[in-house]
Amino acid sequence: MNPGDEELVASARRGDRRAFEELVERYQQRAYHIAFNFARDREDAKDLSQEAFLKAFANLKNFDGRSSFYTWFYRILVNLCLDYKRRQKRAPADTFDETVENEMDPSHQPEKPRSPDQQVWARQISLRVGQALDDLPARQRTAFVLKNHQGLSIKEIAELMETAEGTVKVHLHRAVTALRQSLADFV
Amino acid sequence: MTEQFKKLSAACAEQEENLVLLHYGDLTGAERDTLQSHLNSCAACKDYLQDLGKLLPLTLKSDEPPETFWADYNRELRHKLDDAAEKPRWQQKLAASLQPRLVPLFATAAVVALALAFTLGQSLWTTNEPPREEAAMLEVLPVAENLEFFKALDVLDDLELLEFMGSQGSAA
Repeated sequence: MNPGDEELVASARRGDRRAFEELVERYQQRAYHIAFNFARDREDAKDLSQEAFLKAFANLKNFDGRSSFYTWFYRILVNLCLDYKRRQKRAPADTFDETVENEMDPSHQPEKPRSPDQQVWARQISLRVGQALDDLPARQRTAFVLKNHQGLSIKEIAELMETAEGTVKVHLHRAVTALRQSLADFV
Repeated sequence: MTEQFKKLSAACAEQEENLVLLHYGDLTGAERDTLQSHLNSCAACKDYLQDLGKLLPLTLKSDEPPETFWADYNRELRHKLDDAAEKPRWQQKLAASLQPRLVPLFATAAVVALALAFTLGQSLWTTNEPPREEAAMLEVLPVAENLEFFKALDVLDDLELLEFMGSQGSAA
């Protein structure tokens, strides 16, 4: 039977590296995908998620167990992602890549090459989505990404963001309203 | 811009937040039932919900890296964890080796710092008091001036004597 997170955390705190690596294996994909939703770049998402694990490892002794390891770790990760977005805002760059195109185009089929029109359309959506997400205030974007991309419940998001559920609902509504206006062309 | 907003359906303002929650499946119980019955009679809210269903999936972007990526990911992270574990160990060793010598070390450092401060401070700290030579000169100067005065008095004495002698001569 697989040990639970609490057990692994306790072992890792006693210096068992293997136990921490087990936690990494358990959450690395989810961590990567969250980071990717914020960064929209594979390398950056890898760096961010790895940094979150390193930070968790270094601060394991400070983990008081009041929340689950998952919640505690995701809070570290989301904060790192938000810092990353703040840094990126100071030095904006064109982050368009092929993966985005593929995801944004509903008619996309990997084996079939797309027409130039479809490519242009997908590129437009990708850029607009990226821009619209970047334009959202940090807490709205966090609430939106955790709900829309990660499918967390309002309660979980509230716990992660250390705020009331009602506040999360307001952030989410405002984010959706702003995105809806930005993407109206594509309805 | 106005063109793009024309395409959007405007929902009932008081229902918008709940429509977003309904889209995500986060509305339960009585609230959901109330909204569902509202949707049956409100075309605007129905359109709004449909718009959300079309638009929000466009914002999703997932990435499925290949197996090789995860192999690299794990190897890299293990190296980083090794480094992170090595660093405190190195710091602990250093601290442990310094521990018995810390008190004498700090005491010596404090004494050296005080001595340096005292030595360098004398030349660095400036006061409003004049230098010693100047102070001595200021003390001597009035005395010298007085001396001149008394010398002048001596001359006057001599003048009086001359005058006296002169008056005596003329009287004779």
